[in-house]
Amino acid sequence: MHLDALANLKPKGRETHRLPLLSLATLVALLAATPLVYIGLRALSADAAAWQRLLQARLWLLFRNTILLTAAVTASSSIIGVGLAWLTERSNLPAKSAFRLLLALPLAIPAYIGAIIHLNLMRPRGGVIPKLLENALGITMPAWNPLGFWGATFILTIFTYPYIYLLSAAAFRALNATIEEAARVFGRTPKQTFWFVVLPALRPGLTAGMLLVALDVMAEYGTVALLRYETFTSAIFVQLTGRYDHSAAAVLSGALVALASVILLAELRTYGKGRFTQVESQWRPARAIALGKWHAPALGFVIGVVTASLLIPVTALVVWSMQTLLEVETSASIFRPGVQGFAAHLWNSLWSAGLAAILAAVFSLPVAMASIRSPSRFTRLLLRICQVGYALPGVVIALSLLYIVNRYASFLYATPLVVVLAYVLRHLPQSVRGSEAAFAQIAPSLEEAAYTLGRNSRQTFLRVTLPLAFPGVLAGAALVFLTSLKELPATLLLRPAGFDTLAVRAWIWAGDGFYQQAAPAALALVILAGIPLSFLLRKEELIP
Amino acid sequence: MNRLELRNVSKKYARSGSTAVQGVTFTLAEGEILALVGRSGGGKTTTLRLIAGLEAPDTGVITIDGRLVAGEGVFVPPERRNVGMVFQEHALFPHLTVYENVAFGLHKQQKSIREEIVMESLRLVGLQTLAMRYPHALSGGERQRVALARALAPRPALLLFDEPFSSLDADMRVQMRQQVRDILKSLKATVVFVTHDQEEALFMGDRLAVFQDGEIAQIGAPEEIFHAPQRRFVAEFMGGSDFLAGKTVLEGIQTALGLLPQPTGLPPATLVEIALRADDVAFTLDSQGNGVIAERFFRGAFYLYRLKLDSGEFVHALQPHTELLPVGARVHMYFNAGHPLSVFHNGSVVQVNSPINLHHLIPAKR
Amino acid sequence: MFPFARFVFFCALGMLLINACGITPTADLPPGDQLEMTTSTPMVSSDASVAGKLVIYSGRSEPLILPVVEAFQAKYPAVEVLLKTGSNSELANALIEEQSNPQADVFISTELFTIQALAQQGALQPYLPMGADKLLAGFSAPDQTWVGLTRRARVILYNTQRVDPQDLPASIFDLTDPKWKGQVASAGSTNGSMQAQIAAMRQLLGEAATEAWLRGLIENKVTFFGGHTDVRKAVGAGEFKLGLVNHYYYHLQQAEGSPVGVIFPDQGEGQIGLITNATAAGIVRGAPNLAAARALLDFLVSREGQKLFAELNYEYPLLEGVELHPAVQPLEDLRLAQFDMAQSIANFQATFDLIEKVGLP
Repeated sequence: MHLDALANLKPKGRETHRLPLLSLATLVALLAATPLVYIGLRALSADAAAWQRLLQARLWLLFRNTILLTAAVTASSSIIGVGLAWLTERSNLPAKSAFRLLLALPLAIPAYIGAIIHLNLMRPRGGVIPKLLENALGITMPAWNPLGFWGATFILTIFTYPYIYLLSAAAFRALNATIEEAARVFGRTPKQTFWFVVLPALRPGLTAGMLLVALDVMAEYGTVALLRYETFTSAIFVQLTGRYDHSAAAVLSGALVALASVILLAELRTYGKGRFTQVESQWRPARAIALGKWHAPALGFVIGVVTASLLIPVTALVVWSMQTLLEVETSASIFRPGVQGFAAHLWNSLWSAGLAAILAAVFSLPVAMASIRSPSRFTRLLLRICQVGYALPGVVIALSLLYIVNRYASFLYATPLVVVLAYVLRHLPQSVRGSEAAFAQIAPSLEEAAYTLGRNSRQTFLRVTLPLAFPGVLAGAALVFLTSLKELPATLLLRPAGFDTLAVRAWIWAGDGFYQQAAPAALALVILAGIPLSFLLRKEELIP
Repeated sequence: MNRLELRNVSKKYARSGSTAVQGVTFTLAEGEILALVGRSGGGKTTTLRLIAGLEAPDTGVITIDGRLVAGEGVFVPPERRNVGMVFQEHALFPHLTVYENVAFGLHKQQKSIREEIVMESLRLVGLQTLAMRYPHALSGGERQRVALARALAPRPALLLFDEPFSSLDADMRVQMRQQVRDILKSLKATVVFVTHDQEEALFMGDRLAVFQDGEIAQIGAPEEIFHAPQRRFVAEFMGGSDFLAGKTVLEGIQTALGLLPQPTGLPPATLVEIALRADDVAFTLDSQGNGVIAERFFRGAFYLYRLKLDSGEFVHALQPHTELLPVGARVHMYFNAGHPLSVFHNGSVVQVNSPINLHHLIPAKR
Repeated sequence: MFPFARFVFFCALGMLLINACGITPTADLPPGDQLEMTTSTPMVSSDASVAGKLVIYSGRSEPLILPVVEAFQAKYPAVEVLLKTGSNSELANALIEEQSNPQADVFISTELFTIQALAQQGALQPYLPMGADKLLAGFSAPDQTWVGLTRRARVILYNTQRVDPQDLPASIFDLTDPKWKGQVASAGSTNGSMQAQIAAMRQLLGEAATEAWLRGLIENKVTFFGGHTDVRKAVGAGEFKLGLVNHYYYHLQQAEGSPVGVIFPDQGEGQIGLITNATAAGIVRGAPNLAAARALLDFLVSREGQKLFAELNYEYPLLEGVELHPAVQPLEDLRLAQFDMAQSIANFQATFDLIEKVGLP
């Protein structure tokens, strides 16, 4: 028994410890909101003439193009994603576990690299395949355009369907057999059961996945620029690099962010409403449905998707990389020592994405903890503000950082830290969600037990809360690492001289038409990205 | 000096503003086990958390070993109160082994002493061979025993139990109850034990406090609570009671079962309720009787009969297993208690004119 | 086990932060002294003292500027060159933003308007490189804030296999002819040379005619790329029949073995003539590595540097006496468009307004 002369005089118990936590969380939210506020102010303060010019010329065209592309990609990736998920989880498709992994791996391939490969292969009269056909068989491919709307839709679909596939597959897996059996007993055919019982169970996860894909498409720059389909992001990029006055860019950014915010708000509503259905203790997996005469087409479909989204890109990159390595001159131009060398680019990619992941994880901690341990309308608001990164494409973040950093934090200017900051601002939501999930599953009684065993708040946090939350926080950080590795537009715009990442390198080489030289950088990027991806797939048990 | 003292402790729920506990007052002597029992939301868990320091009271005073821990502008956080707690979901740290869990509260001790205490605590609960396992590799009962060892290891002044057996299977629960009580008594531990199961409370507690809507309805020895409930709620909660309506007359109370010769001192024709247990009622087959057999339950050594009076009320009665009486048969039921019955008016027990001697019902303290 | 993980974590974090702030063990030159040029005598810089970093912002694309930069590095091995490429306006924007905190040493531009605008904003510092007096007159800043490097002509590239010799366009206005609908490639509005061409046409023909031409291009479904390399490769592969490029792209594409030909347009009577422009380089005011910057400029206008431009890039060097690549058509044989460079530069902003108005991609 210890006598205690310094009894805490505040009668509100643990509530006093909330204040520093809330202040930290508020600071993080303010940081996250800064680009949004800046863009909003600049867009609204741009003079009317700038608005008018834009409205006359381009705004509606850009709006139409962006919406069209977003809708098309979301729809097609949803159909493909759900279809594939059903095939690998509910049918008697062979080699399921292999397909599960293969169908998730395209997440490691940035869409613009997919576009580069696609262009190099399919450009009429210029691409590898048309040339092959022409030389070997004398067939001139019809002037099918790999560019424009259909090309962009195709590319974006085959590299974003994994989001939907993974979420749907998890939902299918968790479905209890008894639900479907009950429906059958009540006289529903298998088809009806699917429509009225199975699909609704999918709905929350599917909706969330679709909205995230939509946000991703709206933020996409590299692919639409390469495939020459004008959307808001490519127009903003053109404004930023081709003009002196950035008010038009700000106006376009404002419009884009407004559009994206609408989608983000819709997504936040579905967020948390049954992401993956809980597995009950009396759970039995549902019986696989026989494909029968659909067996061959289904298998063909799955193999086709895997080929287009994974096998072809990786093979192409490997082949071109080897060709590059074998050509002494070309490989010498890539694998140079020093700052312009491959090793430097590799290191830049690694450390900038790594630092961004660490910072994002650290920033996410106070916000996640505050929302779980002191839930209130205020903390929920903070949580939502921290999700705003989803609605801020890389181009827009670059625009706002260019101004903000130069005026208010000039010590950061022209250092790689600005790039890291851009990554953090864009990808913070992923870390916040990971940390929130991690803290949510720690029962409060664990911390209370620690208190009754004599540990104060700080010791409890370090010895109990943090170790238990660590895997989930790490998963969020891994996701930030993955997406920061792949990031292109903000890196292009903000990087100081002599700081190139693998993503930037691949882009510059490809942009100048040197597709082959771009291959090693692209391949290295894909391999690097595969590391956090496989960690995430294992950890989240998305791959059982 | 009392180990624990609560005086007029109250707390409101922050969000809804409704009362969690109100005016809770009791003391606990060293080596005593006090069981807090009542319905969910009745305030017993809140009281426990107030004692632990996981919540702060709005009004009132809590002292542990004579030291003020809450109230009068003072609040000592749980880590400085020297109380141990066993949670409903055991709350074992999943990332630590059994050994590390039990050692968790001993961080201020030297390593060698720590080891000694940990092994001793594990031996006490019979789990010394499982020291290197992780909680997920243990059964439900084993986890609760580790939780007990962990709470005991720092030798706290006070032990708090928050419905510790509710997550276990029925037979496990009974087994654990016995084991835990033996351990607590061997250590002469001072314990506050919360449960919603009245049978458990009757078994575990030296004294019981019955909670009703945030207040203590009655506090006393188990026999007192069981046989001499002060409120209708307590009688109902402690189980097994039927309530028979009655009207007071000069000689006692007139009921559908006949006259109960217990003068109440209340004005005549007052409506009251009588608490009846199965052993307070007897019946015989009688085609002119005052009710019928509604249901029959086989209970091994005896049959429990549910009888429906012609007034519409139900009572229960026991018969030995050798007799099998048909359901639907008309019977004559009558009082057969052999001791005064509890009578309630407006929920509270009624003071009877002639003092009832309950001494023979309350054995000497165990 | 967890405390160890924390230790590793903090080490990693520290390492990352140090890296991020760019604290490297290489020694930097002391910040360059700001010598104000009062005379026009060329300065001499010695090889031995040039070491450290050199930050170049280049509007010229990497493949084209890199060989020259590498030759410079071979000459001054102690200098570490950090190259950032982008469009002229993007880099000029950066330079303007950085005026109070200069990051770059040298700016290389693909046309003269941007660099003159920068000079007018005070973002450059005067320096007359060694031998700059031998450069062709009229292509350097009067206040010596920038010097011209090479000259280039706007030409029409065509694919010889897909275009009949009789059908060859003779003027850039032919590009709006519906018979070339969807068959023409060009660089887009972010490209400096394209911007310069539009500025020159504005002056030669007036706003209305230039606008009509631009709208004509758009209506004719001209495909606008980000850069000329894409244009030349596409025409070389036969994807497009015609391409609007700088002259040296023709040579670069031909060197790759593609079946391409070149047209120097608008040579006839009454036509506007061949539009030309020049590249230039200037030293940023407050450049952190002044000696290296000066050495680079010296190199770029020296015989050695100018020869590289001529031989590797097929450009027209501005240094007297440097020979063209044998395959390149001399400008003396051609009729050049006569426009007032200074006036075009002064009205540069109007060019951007026109581009916005038309909605050029």
